[in-house]
Amino acid sequence: MPDLIEMEIVKNSLIAIAEEMFTVTAKTSKSPIIYDVLDFSTGLTDAEGDVVSQATGIPLFIGMLDFNAKAPLDKFGKDGLQPGDVIIVNDPYISGTHLNDVAIVAPFFHKDELLAIGVNKGHYYDIGGMVFGSWGPKGSEVYHEGILIPPVKLYEENRLNKDVLDLLLENSRLPSYVLGDIEAQTASMKLAERRLKALVSKYGLDTVKANMDKIQRDGETVAWNRIKMLPKGVFRAEDYYDDSGVSEDPMKLTVKVEIDDDKFDVDLSGNPPAVRAAINTTYPATVAAVRIVYAAVLDPHVRYCQGFVKPLRITIPENTVFNAKKPYPVGIYWETMTYAADLVWKALAPYIPDRLTAGHFLSVVAETIAGINPRNGEAFALVEPNPGGWGAGYDKDGESALVSFADGETFITSIEVIEQRYPIIVERYQLNTEDGVGHGEFRGGFGIVKDYRLLADAEFTTAVNRSKFPPWGVNGGLPGTYNYMLIIKSDGSETRVRKVSGERLKAGDLVSIRTAGGGGWGDPRKRDPEKVREDVMEGYITVDDAKRIYRVVLRENLEIDWEATGWERSQPSP
Amino acid sequence: MKNSSTNFLSLANIYQTMSKRVAIDIGGGFTDLFAIDEETGEIAWSKDETTPANYSEGVMRVFSKSGVDPSTVSSLLHGQTLVINTIITRRGSKVGLITTKGFRDVILITRSNRRDIYNLRYRKPASFVPRHLIREVDERVGYDGTVLKPLNEGDVEAATKSLVSLGVQSIAVCYINSYANQSNEARSKELIVRVLENMGVRPYVSVSSEITGEWREYERTSTTVLNAYVHPQMDNYLRNLEEILRRKGVRGELFMMLSSGGVSTFRYAADYPILSIESGPAAGVVGAITIGELLGIKNIIALDGGSTTTKASLVEELMPRVLTDYYVERDQFNAGYPVKVPVIDIVEVGNGGGSIAWIDETGSMRVGPASAGADPGPACYGRGGQKPTLTDAYLITGIINPNYFLGGALRLDIHLAKKAMGELAERLDMTVDETAFGVVRLGNDNASQVIRRISIERGYDPRDFTIVAFGGSGPMFASFIAEELEVGNVIIPSIPPGVFSAWGLLMTDLRHDFVKTSVTRLDHPQAIERVANTYSELEVRARGIQHNGGKKGDIVLARYADMRYYGQEHVLKVGVPNGEVDRQLIEELERRFHENHYKYYSFKLDSPIEIVNYHVVALLKVRKPILKLLPREDTSVSKAFKGEREAYLDAKRGWVRVEVYERGRLPPGATLKGPMIVEDPTSTAIVLPGQKISVDQYGNLHVRKGGE
Repeated sequence: MPDLIEMEIVKNSLIAIAEEMFTVTAKTSKSPIIYDVLDFSTGLTDAEGDVVSQATGIPLFIGMLDFNAKAPLDKFGKDGLQPGDVIIVNDPYISGTHLNDVAIVAPFFHKDELLAIGVNKGHYYDIGGMVFGSWGPKGSEVYHEGILIPPVKLYEENRLNKDVLDLLLENSRLPSYVLGDIEAQTASMKLAERRLKALVSKYGLDTVKANMDKIQRDGETVAWNRIKMLPKGVFRAEDYYDDSGVSEDPMKLTVKVEIDDDKFDVDLSGNPPAVRAAINTTYPATVAAVRIVYAAVLDPHVRYCQGFVKPLRITIPENTVFNAKKPYPVGIYWETMTYAADLVWKALAPYIPDRLTAGHFLSVVAETIAGINPRNGEAFALVEPNPGGWGAGYDKDGESALVSFADGETFITSIEVIEQRYPIIVERYQLNTEDGVGHGEFRGGFGIVKDYRLLADAEFTTAVNRSKFPPWGVNGGLPGTYNYMLIIKSDGSETRVRKVSGERLKAGDLVSIRTAGGGGWGDPRKRDPEKVREDVMEGYITVDDAKRIYRVVLRENLEIDWEATGWERSQPSP
Repeated sequence: MKNSSTNFLSLANIYQTMSKRVAIDIGGGFTDLFAIDEETGEIAWSKDETTPANYSEGVMRVFSKSGVDPSTVSSLLHGQTLVINTIITRRGSKVGLITTKGFRDVILITRSNRRDIYNLRYRKPASFVPRHLIREVDERVGYDGTVLKPLNEGDVEAATKSLVSLGVQSIAVCYINSYANQSNEARSKELIVRVLENMGVRPYVSVSSEITGEWREYERTSTTVLNAYVHPQMDNYLRNLEEILRRKGVRGELFMMLSSGGVSTFRYAADYPILSIESGPAAGVVGAITIGELLGIKNIIALDGGSTTTKASLVEELMPRVLTDYYVERDQFNAGYPVKVPVIDIVEVGNGGGSIAWIDETGSMRVGPASAGADPGPACYGRGGQKPTLTDAYLITGIINPNYFLGGALRLDIHLAKKAMGELAERLDMTVDETAFGVVRLGNDNASQVIRRISIERGYDPRDFTIVAFGGSGPMFASFIAEELEVGNVIIPSIPPGVFSAWGLLMTDLRHDFVKTSVTRLDHPQAIERVANTYSELEVRARGIQHNGGKKGDIVLARYADMRYYGQEHVLKVGVPNGEVDRQLIEELERRFHENHYKYYSFKLDSPIEIVNYHVVALLKVRKPILKLLPREDTSVSKAFKGEREAYLDAKRGWVRVEVYERGRLPPGATLKGPMIVEDPTSTAIVLPGQKISVDQYGNLHVRKGGE
């Protein structure tokens, strides 16, 4: 019988290694999107590429660590990997997401035996392609979106393959960022290797391997236990994406979820074919997104591992927007991918209210503002996600200004850091009370308004969704509001945009980022009048809103007129 | 007008009789007093329950219990948990916030991170200021400190009046980019104070740039608001305490322990209460440093094993690591509230004597973080606790003596311990003894993980350090950790663990930290000038603490720099040589940074280097009382020997007979081989097979490898 106590100690050490990989990357990276925003993830897999442990980071990336570990295994085979090899890969069709997300993968050996694989996947600022920042809505094939890296050895038995490095650096507009990220990610691999060696020499190879197996077995056991507690049945949802990529016509998307004691199946059949526009997403990314909602529904506090997601079966027909093949472009894949998760969420929310809220702003609302910084003559690129409004729960209002579900321990860049680093003045950063939220017995949370005044000419790229189809409400809760941006030129002209590819803006122009309010839960007329009053006091809604939407009548001194409120609420809906 | 020379003479007379340094540490459960006579080295201590309704009451109680004559007190050093408790229990004041136009919601937006990443019903930390008490004023400073828009003074006055009319008791001010130019904030403070005084309201005003000179608007706002939240409470408490102490006859100086490991005057602590948020734990680290100073040991790991948590802190060259990266209420699943003030870097895990052992659904045994607390406490306390804890495991394995816990004040019931452990054992299909020892091992592993985090994960080898173990369970973990991490020497101080923090307070120097963010590339043509100017600006302010401290003496200034490679964000703190800033000094600084970066992250780069934060520490060294040598009467190994008992210290050997000694009777110079147990009324130290123990002249125990 294995020593139970030792097993627990080794398990804690495996988790500690993945977390330490994360810390070392954040602390040594030179890209704000890595060190400040934390747009990356780290993990350890077993020799088969199945995830054993990972650090808290971007849940989307965590859900595809296995694909990245398996990519070099599939290409080189176990025999083709040697101690000291470090692989670099960004091929979206086998490792997920888009070309900007580059994984560094390293096999770890004990003597000649492959023991584990380390993965570190993060967002690179620029990897070539048609616009500064590489990603954008415009590409019609993947070749427009930067350099595609199949699994190649950056290090062979500890020797740097300088030719590969040179090739990558020469293909980026920001080579020093690429170099810095590669160095930081590689440092995390060296560290993981040292820690694993120490672990094996202390507890023995067999204990460490037995532990990795146990983690998978335990994860699966817990998952099945949780699935048995879920409501059973077939659940469906449909929704609309703002456009089809190639036209302004909306794109209808649909899902079927089947849950039973012995299954958790997600079927994404019946969705549109892949298009010659950057909105396609690949199989690994779609799977990773669905895994987030699956984990949330089963038990958000179970440590993620491969065994835990094993019961989840996902059907995604090939050559659809959710499972595009080369050379279909994937530059803004995430705006479609998020729908795969949101559909499952929407199908299940009314039935699993203790785990799910009404719809949230969903889009990552990312933008690139890039150019030459007149202060030092160097190239700069601001790339960031933005926070938005979350949906209400059955017993709570939605959270305001929180990152999207695909992001997790992700930090929105500080205004003071932005102003110090980029030729930009932030004129305001506030909750978006102008556009409002989805009202309900519990209301959605607020999005944000952030105004950037450019102090230099810059290229601007963005792609957001839910600009035409707002976050959904539940049980009579109202839908939320829209994500969009305004470009206000110095001549005063104003344009509402949601997809922009490398537009040239001038110094003095203003970019105003507006994110959506979340969906409501329950009939607004059932909202506690005290809460309605509080929202008025806090400046979230007006006295008029209180009466019109919530049927709560407030006196001039903002006290509740209970009699009038009672009468208002007894009237039939218009 | 008084004649100054007479005045001087009378002061000198007073100082002759005022020879006692007194430390008072208010903890969550107990208030401790520890006093030492600077002339004779005589010590005294007392303990009583903390009185949260009126903390001064508990303070006065320990005072009278200790028998210390208030008129003999030369200085009183105070540590407290009032600040953190007021925050955690949400019993602070109604705060209003004044901020730059356009940025009302910064504190509500936070950094927008979802720390509990798979929880789609995540809740953000709720703001300490409601939105209707946040006011915007017209003003704007640029990133480089340029005033882009002058302060609209009318806005500030109007905001102040309107906040007060809504019942606000304490006002926080935080403007965008005030780290680069504090003039608008400073002027606002003057205006607010004037308005409040005219209204007859006591002016509680917290201004961000006075509290933290660092960038990042959310973090600075959060820090300032939390300061404002506890400002009136702390001010009232300290005024009240000072009045009572003076009435009782205390004429000496009064100091507050800060989280940075230094002390300040009561006045300063009352204005900046957030600086003493981790006052108590910092004192323990200072105590460990003092032990090191006394024994000539410079690299120390302070290990504090409490009843619910284990804390560890790394000390290099007798200097604690002081960072400004603290959070209130942050854990694995909650983002918490950032507090950017200097706090000794202490890492904590939910693991202590009261930690509950349990089996998770996969059949793995776990210890903590849930704790049985003091009530009902471990099963063996017999107060109704049903769940097995680490203390129960220590009892079953023979490590603790059931009749000598707290000196016999609490008789432990081994049957209850075994009954609780038995349920766990049955589910694991193990014997009760094996299970109990498994719990001990997991508790030890939790404690050694904390030490790994502060050492190995930061590039330090724990084998280069000495562990100073204190707290109720510290001495029980220490030997196991020493074996696990191959640490050569563990010191278990002779100061009783219960009052170790209070004792540490006595050893603290007056310390103030001055930090300023100003990004400087070291290869910039004006780098030398900028570095020199910034340090000189901070050093002028630092010398000013003499006025604050009101105490004569030599101020020691130490420079630090938070540095990084150009393009990086995260910084490493590096010690900066004193003396004139010239080319040579900059080169030395670069060399130190490269070396540190390599140490922490195992690589260095070719890139240019930047200073981000300039940091100057001002220390006013206090005269340290000497730890009294262990009295030599009535001690000998044979007198200390209490008998033998069976203990389970090792999975392979199982039960072994070990000798048991009474700590207080071991003579200096004694050396004994493990396995053995050394007891005193407040703690138990374990010496494993293969380890030996020696007693130094002060009565500290040293556990080292070797023996058998």
